[in-house]
Amino acid sequence: MQDPTELERLRELFLRAPESRVTSILAIALSTCLLLTVLYLVRHRRLREEYTPIWVTLALIVTVISLRLDLLRALTAAIGAWTPSSTLFFLGELFILWICLNYSIRLSRHTTQLKNLAQETAILRARLEELTDASETRATGAGR
Amino acid sequence: MSRTPATEPQAGEFLVLIPAFNEAARLPDVLRELGTLEQPHRVVVIDDGSRDKTAESARDLGATVLRLPFNLGYGAALQTGYKYAHASKATLIVQMDADGQHDPAFIPRLIAPIREGRADLVIGSRFARDSGYRMGWLHTLGRLLFQRIARLAGLHVTDPTSGLQAMNGSVLELYSGDFFPSDYPDVDVLLEAFRRGLRIEECAVEMRPGQRRSTLHGGLRSFYYVYRLTLALWAGARAANPR
Repeated sequence: MQDPTELERLRELFLRAPESRVTSILAIALSTCLLLTVLYLVRHRRLREEYTPIWVTLALIVTVISLRLDLLRALTAAIGAWTPSSTLFFLGELFILWICLNYSIRLSRHTTQLKNLAQETAILRARLEELTDASETRATGAGR
Repeated sequence: MSRTPATEPQAGEFLVLIPAFNEAARLPDVLRELGTLEQPHRVVVIDDGSRDKTAESARDLGATVLRLPFNLGYGAALQTGYKYAHASKATLIVQMDADGQHDPAFIPRLIAPIREGRADLVIGSRFARDSGYRMGWLHTLGRLLFQRIARLAGLHVTDPTSGLQAMNGSVLELYSGDFFPSDYPDVDVLLEAFRRGLRIEECAVEMRPGQRRSTLHGGLRSFYYVYRLTLALWAGARAANPR
């Protein structure tokens, strides 16, 4: 079994390891791509404005973290993780879980709304037929 | 064939609701059988997005047709009928399946407790008396399990999944709510009605072997059925006692 002091020293080493510049540039490029994609989708009416804040916020957070890696390192130390990348994975997983649950809730609501609308359509169509037939019958009766 | 003119709804009517999905072959026989019913009634067929001539054949035989724009599921189709009946201010409603499983000869017996003011909801039960009706072991197991749960809550029903039921207008408002399942209404719905103080009775009936429900409790679906119903019962109990 490893000596706990040795393990702690190893963790310190991981935490202080300098990130490469390429990582930062890649992260900024990805967040910029995400932002541009969101804007493109909104412009082409494929994404509604009310669904964009989450993605714009995500892109901004990724940009800030890319520029201030010390923040990520502080967070890593605070949550007891070993490397900033594992913190990112952890946060990413939490984000995906949250967004899936959020969309499941929205989907459930929309399913109920859609069902109610379809039922309303069927009832109104039947009512319309009843009224049309009744007025036709009345018109035929008056014509005689 | 020319379309039979639709009848205007009248308050206090007796409506027979029949949800149907691709039942053009069997529905006409059911409608003809219903024609022998002595009590004045109006048949409302809820076409659940059928791809065949279900709606046309029902209309040709004089039924009012509620045509859903796409398939919503048995429960949602049935609920469409409840909503229509509620809007039409119907006071007596019978629901039955479109596959010929239910014999209209039992309807007078089914509606009697409602007409006499003894019950709000009457379930046509295959198991209230041994009618010789047999179903798969998983279905039987699920039925017994939920029957026991209902009994714990004070509701004594032997056939909560029966599609042959009669009700009065007071049930319609409750059944038009968003809690009503889109797939298959079961003991969860009955328990909700029971909690709201509606009087539920059973009436022994015999049923012919059906088509629709034979696949409901097969394979993985049985497990989903038990899971969904457990969740629905829990949610219903939570809604009744929010603390």
